[in-house]
Amino acid sequence: MRGIFSSPPPSYLLKVRTLKAKPKTRIKTGLEKSIGENSVFYPYLYLLPYALFFLIFWVYPLFDGFYVSLCRYDFAETQRTFIAFKHYISLPFDPLFRASLINTLLFVLETTPLIIGVGLAFALLLNLPFLKGKIVLRVLLISPFMLSMAAVCMTWEWILGPQFGLLNYYFSQLRLPTQAWLLERGWSLFAVVLTTLWWTVGFNTILFLAGLQEIPDVLHEAAKIDGAGRWSNFWYITLPCLRPVLLFIIVMQIIASFKIFGQVFIMTGGGPAESSRVMVQHIYETGFQYYRMGEASAIAWVLFVIIMVFTLAQFKVLSKQTIEY
Amino acid sequence: MKKINLAVISALIFAFALIWFSPILWMVSTSLKPEKYTIEWPIHWIPRSVTLENYYSVIFESVINIFRPFFNSIFIALAVIVLTLLTSSLAAYAFAQLRFKGQNVLFFLVISTLMIPEEVLLVPRYLLLYKFQMINSYNALILPMVASPFGIFLLRQFFLGIPRDLQDAARIDGCSKFRIYYQIILPLSKPALAALAIFTFLANWNSFTWPLIAIDSIELMTVPIFLATFHAFGVIMWGRLMAAVACVTLPILIFFCIAQRGIIKGITLTGLKG
Repeated sequence: MRGIFSSPPPSYLLKVRTLKAKPKTRIKTGLEKSIGENSVFYPYLYLLPYALFFLIFWVYPLFDGFYVSLCRYDFAETQRTFIAFKHYISLPFDPLFRASLINTLLFVLETTPLIIGVGLAFALLLNLPFLKGKIVLRVLLISPFMLSMAAVCMTWEWILGPQFGLLNYYFSQLRLPTQAWLLERGWSLFAVVLTTLWWTVGFNTILFLAGLQEIPDVLHEAAKIDGAGRWSNFWYITLPCLRPVLLFIIVMQIIASFKIFGQVFIMTGGGPAESSRVMVQHIYETGFQYYRMGEASAIAWVLFVIIMVFTLAQFKVLSKQTIEY
Repeated sequence: MKKINLAVISALIFAFALIWFSPILWMVSTSLKPEKYTIEWPIHWIPRSVTLENYYSVIFESVINIFRPFFNSIFIALAVIVLTLLTSSLAAYAFAQLRFKGQNVLFFLVISTLMIPEEVLLVPRYLLLYKFQMINSYNALILPMVASPFGIFLLRQFFLGIPRDLQDAARIDGCSKFRIYYQIILPLSKPALAALAIFTFLANWNSFTWPLIAIDSIELMTVPIFLATFHAFGVIMWGRLMAAVACVTLPILIFFCIAQRGIIKGITLTGLKG
């Protein structure tokens, strides 16, 4: 008697698609032995594409950049003359470098608390339970961060215009003293801070919002039962729960603030009398307008070290124990 | 009583949000005014006479059409996204699911580069590309951006979360490791891939310093550089400039309105896993 399974079942009965087993009983070729699936080299194949770009555009330039910073290399001459650390030693004596360093530090100090504070405030606003139309609110408060930086800068430059700018118009209507925001020594950096705040706050707001929504309601309710007012609730429950998000945002924000360039370049070009010149701008001008590549590289490495120091310090200070529920 | 309080507070919040958003409204308003009315006193939010001449001028009469930089920026961003997703996901798969010597050391190496600011690579990258005569080309804007340590980090975190059982079952059925990557891991990782895509897009859309250095010719300009050139011509024509800004801004705004949920979810993913 012929068995029921002497022939494969008709295809219309094969509703389920199974992965066909591939019996590996054939002889392996040399290539397969060396980079086939079970060889030692197989995983490295996956790393190859990334490694290519990584080695060429990250590793090599990093070391080459350091070597260039130890040379005098004016682009026109295709010669690099090794001068060891002369660039680094001469930097503190350069008034432009000092100005750029101070301005960058000022910028970081001014933007970080602002962008984080306002971001948190917006997130708290958006988290209020009784608000309707959150979608509209989100677009209004958050969307600027998706806009092109130059678009934001141009718009704000227009708003901050000395004679016909929107801000000065309303200031004069309210009898407040008008400022030539971008053209005045004291205000130019702050104007850039304001613009950057308006532009980037949305990103932090999103992260804070996610963090807020992760806090279990149970905690808030328990606090309320124990008689905590709104401020106590915020200070003792919300903030500690937000600590990981806060750490992440603070670190990211400070690093990003150190790298500020575009807004300054477009809006103030370094500000009246170097009052808003920042470090990356100094790197750009030294290397690509005056073509002193060695010096530019040295400035870049100084910036790199400063950022590293700040980042490591933050990790030490801010990452204490995490919250256990 | 409480209800009225809440309503008042809501109204105040909306009013504040509107004021916060007003720069964009002011930008659109300015772009619709004839040039001579852009600088006027007192200020009118609604233009006395609405005109499209600024838009016409920016789109058709410019030295270079506004859409060229827009296209450049989008093209470069998309190219970088594709390459980054490809390279990062392959590498992340290896780090997450395969075993090989030096795994942890290499991963630590990759992660440590996250702390390196790209500014320190500006000069040497320029010199490198100059040697290969790739300055002032799309390559110069795309290739350096592809290696993304952040991408590997994010995707590896996500891949580690995919249950081992699924892959083991596939292995038992005879699935090759590459097929696991291709047909199981990738489809399950859509949220993480989308998040990485958004993040990469934003980084490239806004990148200013590198394009400023690497690009000389008008045809290859990206949006930020193009808008910056409006500065260079003495007296700024604000109406035209605002029209150019609007052309670049409005599509993004509309996109954000539509894709809001997804974008927010994507960024949340990057933040919470990072």
